Amino acid sequence: MEKKRIDDYEPGPVPSPRGLDRFGFVKQDANTSEGGVKTNRSAHEYERIKEGRRVRKWRKMIGVGGSDWKHYLRRKPYVVKRRIRKGIPDCLRGLVWQLISGSRDLLLMNPGVYEQLVIYETSASELDIIRDISRTFPSHVFFQQRHGPGQRSLYNVLKAYSVFDRDVGYVQGMGFLAGLLLLYMSEEDAFWLLVALLKGAVHAPMEGLYLTGLPLVQQYLFQFERLITKRLEELKEEYEKKNGKLSRSGEHSKQSILPSINSN
Amino acid sequence: MDEECDYLFKAVLIGDSGVGKSNMLSRFAKDEFRLDSKPTIGVEFAYRNIRVKDKLIKAQIWDTAGQERFRAITSSYYRGALGALLVYDITRRSSYESVGRWLVELREFGGEDMVVILVGNKCDLGESREVEEEEGKEFAETEGLCFMETSALKNLNVEQVFLQMITKILEITSQRSLEAKMDEKPINLLNGKEIHVADDDDEVTATKQAPCCY
Repeated sequence: MEKKRIDDYEPGPVPSPRGLDRFGFVKQDANTSEGGVKTNRSAHEYERIKEGRRVRKWRKMIGVGGSDWKHYLRRKPYVVKRRIRKGIPDCLRGLVWQLISGSRDLLLMNPGVYEQLVIYETSASELDIIRDISRTFPSHVFFQQRHGPGQRSLYNVLKAYSVFDRDVGYVQGMGFLAGLLLLYMSEEDAFWLLVALLKGAVHAPMEGLYLTGLPLVQQYLFQFERLITKRLEELKEEYEKKNGKLSRSGEHSKQSILPSINSN
Repeated sequence: MDEECDYLFKAVLIGDSGVGKSNMLSRFAKDEFRLDSKPTIGVEFAYRNIRVKDKLIKAQIWDTAGQERFRAITSSYYRGALGALLVYDITRRSSYESVGRWLVELREFGGEDMVVILVGNKCDLGESREVEEEEGKEFAETEGLCFMETSALKNLNVEQVFLQMITKILEITSQRSLEAKMDEKPINLLNGKEIHVADDDDEVTATKQAPCCY
């Protein structure tokens, strides 16, 4: 368990090793320069300047280490909402996610709990977790190395969560959530953010995606199907035609959203 | 392309997590294999058009998540499926021991005369084998299933196992449509007739499944 405070260091331009994209994934096509689409230089420059301006606005909004966040959120919720929709600057996501989700408060209220879960508790899901570790973001530089720091952190967070919430335990797919968080923050921060998301510290809990029976998944699929039927009648008909009029295509169409969850 | 196919066959891949279902499918559909493939979350599917005898068949294969929790949604995919590959990993005994539970699931949610093939995957890893080929074969026989060992990595028997399943489905389907033609009556009337056979309720449901494949 390494402690690193993400809000202490300046981001700056990260030197991108050859063959990786700016998020650290191995490029699919390493020999084409910049992944094939080379945008012209001035547009690139413009994006960079815009991003810099956005970072400064955000820094002012959240204050040092997030000290002004709650105050700002109370005073100007609509500004916050608009800015979030424009995109949180990459270098501040780790901190901002913790502030928005309420996970920072959970962390402060529960000192030592994470360490306890990682070191002393055992989980029934340990084997399941291990089986999936090397299959989670295998093309990312942080998770690539077998038993490397990335894989170890991922294992710790997932195991800790499966102990923390034994009803949910470990469910396949959680690794991609925890893994993404680990790219932006320390293990302990990632763990509490996972807790905040699934248990609903500030927003509605997401644990229904993983609970037995997958109630929230079922709800979303139902809503999705109704929306398609209501808004995209033609698409629905086309789908049924393409699938050779399978007798229960209604049921399939609502569920075929699932493949898209799994495609990177 | 679609219109040229004589049949659309739907089949499912089931079995414990990490036995190699997704790689079997990618080998069959795209001739690809990835050692680091992602765990399947929920369900995915792939198509391949394949010629068997003089028929062009569109095989629509649904690949399901192996983890227990996902059965809440995956089991509904068995309905309308004409075939299933029940996969275990020959190097992991626990995946073989789960086969019984998967069968229960199939029989509960799947069609009556679904073609089921028991598949022992990863047969290239003979040195860490935990389930003997004979054992799998015998179990399959007692349960009335077909059996094959495969290696998605080495591309051994993968094509064959899918082909065997599709061929069997084709046989059953042609048999069915022949019977229907002989009777010169629509399928639902046929069902009506069979209801008179008091102690043969199962047959009725079996016939109902047949139209799904057209």
